[in-house]
Amino acid sequence: MLWRKMLRDILENKGAYLACLVIIAMGVMIFTSFASIVQSLHVSQQAYYENQNFADGFVQVTAIPPGTIARLRDIDGIEDIQGRLVKDVTLWQPENPENIYLRLISVDPNEPNPINGVLLSQGRPLQKSAREMWLDNQFFSTHNLSLNDQVEIIAAGKRQRLTVVGVGSSPEFVYALRSMADIYPDPETFGIGFVPWDTLRTFFPDTDSFNELVFTLKPGAGFEQVKEELERQLAPYGLISIISRADQVSHQLLQMDIDAVESMSTAMPVMFLGIAAVILYITLKRLIEQQRGQIGILKAEGYTDPEILRHYLSYALFIGLVGGVAGSLMGSLLAYPLTAIYQEFFNLPAFTAAFSPFHFVGGIVLSVGFALLAGYQGAKKVLSLQPVEAMRPHAPIAGKRIFLEHFSLLWRLLNTQGRMAVRNLTRNQGRSLFIFFGIMICFAISSFTWSMNDIFQKMLYDQYEKVEVYDLKITFAQPLKQDPVLRELRANPGVQQVEPLAEVPVTLKHQWHEEDVVIIGILSDSRLYNILDSDYNRMEPPENGILLSERLAGLLEATVGTTLSLESPLKPDDRENTVVVAGIIPQYVGMNAYMEISSLQRILREPGLATAAMVNMDQEAIPFFKEKYLTAANIAAIEENGLRLNKMKELMDTYGSMIYLYALIGVIVGFAIIYSSSVITIAERERELASMMVLGMTPEEVLSVVTFEQWCIGVPALILGIPVAKGMMGSFGQLLNSDLLTMPTTLSSQALFLALMVTVASIWIAQRTAARKIRGFSLAEVLKSRE
Amino acid sequence: MSEGLLVANNLSKFYQMGEVTVKALKEASFRLEEGELVVVLGPSGSGKSTLLNIIGGMDRPTGGELFYRGKSLHRAGAKELTVYRRHHIGFVFQFYNLMPNLTALENIQLSVQIASDPLSPTELLAKVGLADRADHFPSQLSGGEQQRVALARALAKNPRILLCDEPTGALDYGTSIQVLQLLKETCETYGKTVVIITHNTAIAQMAHRIFYLKDGILERIEENQTPLPPEKVTW
Repeated sequence: MLWRKMLRDILENKGAYLACLVIIAMGVMIFTSFASIVQSLHVSQQAYYENQNFADGFVQVTAIPPGTIARLRDIDGIEDIQGRLVKDVTLWQPENPENIYLRLISVDPNEPNPINGVLLSQGRPLQKSAREMWLDNQFFSTHNLSLNDQVEIIAAGKRQRLTVVGVGSSPEFVYALRSMADIYPDPETFGIGFVPWDTLRTFFPDTDSFNELVFTLKPGAGFEQVKEELERQLAPYGLISIISRADQVSHQLLQMDIDAVESMSTAMPVMFLGIAAVILYITLKRLIEQQRGQIGILKAEGYTDPEILRHYLSYALFIGLVGGVAGSLMGSLLAYPLTAIYQEFFNLPAFTAAFSPFHFVGGIVLSVGFALLAGYQGAKKVLSLQPVEAMRPHAPIAGKRIFLEHFSLLWRLLNTQGRMAVRNLTRNQGRSLFIFFGIMICFAISSFTWSMNDIFQKMLYDQYEKVEVYDLKITFAQPLKQDPVLRELRANPGVQQVEPLAEVPVTLKHQWHEEDVVIIGILSDSRLYNILDSDYNRMEPPENGILLSERLAGLLEATVGTTLSLESPLKPDDRENTVVVAGIIPQYVGMNAYMEISSLQRILREPGLATAAMVNMDQEAIPFFKEKYLTAANIAAIEENGLRLNKMKELMDTYGSMIYLYALIGVIVGFAIIYSSSVITIAERERELASMMVLGMTPEEVLSVVTFEQWCIGVPALILGIPVAKGMMGSFGQLLNSDLLTMPTTLSSQALFLALMVTVASIWIAQRTAARKIRGFSLAEVLKSRE
Repeated sequence: MSEGLLVANNLSKFYQMGEVTVKALKEASFRLEEGELVVVLGPSGSGKSTLLNIIGGMDRPTGGELFYRGKSLHRAGAKELTVYRRHHIGFVFQFYNLMPNLTALENIQLSVQIASDPLSPTELLAKVGLADRADHFPSQLSGGEQQRVALARALAKNPRILLCDEPTGALDYGTSIQVLQLLKETCETYGKTVVIITHNTAIAQMAHRIFYLKDGILERIEENQTPLPPEKVTW
């Protein structure tokens, strides 16, 4: 019987309970979906790394003869070390306007336990010296290839044919980026090919040695000690870099994403369930106030305290259970499309969506737990009520003077309704605080998500629309003397402008800080590469000075005027050079330093050296130009800026939908808080508001008391929402900032405006509901009864 | 159309309660004149409050006609009824219905704000003997004091008709007499029409006319040639 009473009570106040239910369901949904994805990511990552013997360290050298590797295996801490040749080549596809790159990695078919072993999904083993290869599965399927297809590549200026005999994946390329400048893996233009060592070496006649080493560590061995020893022993072979697994791009990005999803899978549900708990607490507390008489009767009838408490807890249990089951169901379903999105980015073979009973049940338990806790807090008062006391009406609400009244000038400005509203704010401070919080959250989350959207667009588009404004970038296979090359390029039909570019890997040092970055050298009056300050003013790279990106300057603790020392593997001698920081500029994509090209050449003692050329040319002449240089031995890559921009726009569309999902969540939470508290407020003050209508006030006038009150809370909440949104951006930026991306933390005014609109609309809708309730008051009935 | 402040012809009010039709008021006809004090007597469930709600513009009759100064109220919409309540009707309830977070004076000001020809709130407060309690909140006032504030609030709008639903129902004898004296004065000094609903027959002794209601039927209307002053009323 009491069960039926509960259901009817809930129906009677369905607004507040529904809001609560929705928020619980969303929280649980996020928990179930993301937590199961995290688990699945974790498990598949661990298994993959272990089974494929993923390297602990990666070494780049200029050249090292295969015979010397065995010696390195004796270094203390190294479990195994293997050498390989890694070369980027282009695919011969004259009909395709876009260049397609393959990274060829040499494989020793006889190695019983290869480091970064390829997990073969189709095909057969490679044969020594055969002209065949394995391709990575994403590239293979994106290009609709089949086994035994021939792939033609251009290696060292020569066309070479390879037969695809297998398809697989490597733990090294879970997130396959061609270079640090790329932001997402794009199997359409970049793939990995695994070629027998004896075959690959013949493609590049001048290289009979390895240019990379990969090693695994013995359990418990420290990377740093091994690195030091390797640096010593590899110095004669032109050591370029030694990085640990933690800094390996694919691993780093995968780990970053797992961490981000993991923190979201705990933080968001806790926030949601917390909010739902507060709504439930308020609603139940009010219900018990309202039903004092009924409680008194139940007690007088002989119901025990635990029985009555159980009855009121059943409301919470019901909401928690329904919300939990709904959320868990939705979350389990949502896990599939979400996994599909992650699968697009991560090439993790065992990573699939699966129904996780643990997280399904876990979500329900979590929700019921939160609900019961809130319910108990709201309902515990029934325990202390004595039957006689319970049947007596509770003491009238005491009016109080408030602080503001001491400022009589200000106070007198308010009319009586205004004063009523302002005093109401302090009457139920907890409630006011909750509404304040709801409005703030709604505003902060929506302005934050919209800003994120703006910022991502800005970060990515700016790079290709404002900074790199050339049509083509021609990267040389090795550094060249600029003058003859530029002359040659300029002679092509349709070419309007050609500028040299030097991208030089260096190590910059300041005190104990040390960073490996690429210095970009451009002409001081470059028209094709703009260095911009935060106000989009063009800056000229100073002669003899260096410009640092903000993040790099931060990492080096360098300011304008700081002297940095500079080392480069391209520099012929070991003498250390210094360079003075001339300016610090914002840079969102990548982390670089900039110099005027001739100053850079001077430091390197390589006058006229360039690693690439930037070209502006007539659009119709581009295909011909590309075809002409595709096979040139000196050219490693030709990139077309317009195509990169288009790719970026495609990516942003996928990303945009995620952001709108978050915005929607924020708006729903904010709205639910505003709506439920508004509904509760009206119900609580029914009598008071009805009295005003009897006095002859119109429903609008009565509503104005409630709305004035809400705006009194709303306006400061909106204002405070701005720093909160900024804080959210700051901490999100912290999470995301890396050498690949630096996120600006400015809130765009457009985002603020949109967020304001959304929040105000939420408040307005809640007020419409309130207005409808007020109009529906039955005056006669409200007033007849005693409070 | 008949003259008179308020004219009711065959007023009926039926409520549909599930499958039962409750006839709360059956064909009541009466008129109210300017400056008279009317007491409506009847046991609970006799239709007193229904009658008051209809006169007060809080509810509409199911049948019959109601005219205020020649204008029909039985066909009025929600807006017109609000205007009617706003400018012509004052209410006093058994449980005062003051705004808990407004002071005594502010409660009166609240109704002054919406009136077109209001009386001075401070004067009224003095009139009901609460000048020194102006800044007190309802929770700081006794029941009688609260009811006097409620009365001042109703009068402040300067309405033609003052409707009182069991105004002394929650008060002790002494306080009740004070409130009744004020109602009598209202009638005499300000020339208002005062309607008091009660089941306390003693109060009828101070009325000019007495309406007897039973089972929704207005059984009879009695003229009282010699109304007693409130202080002489006993129960």
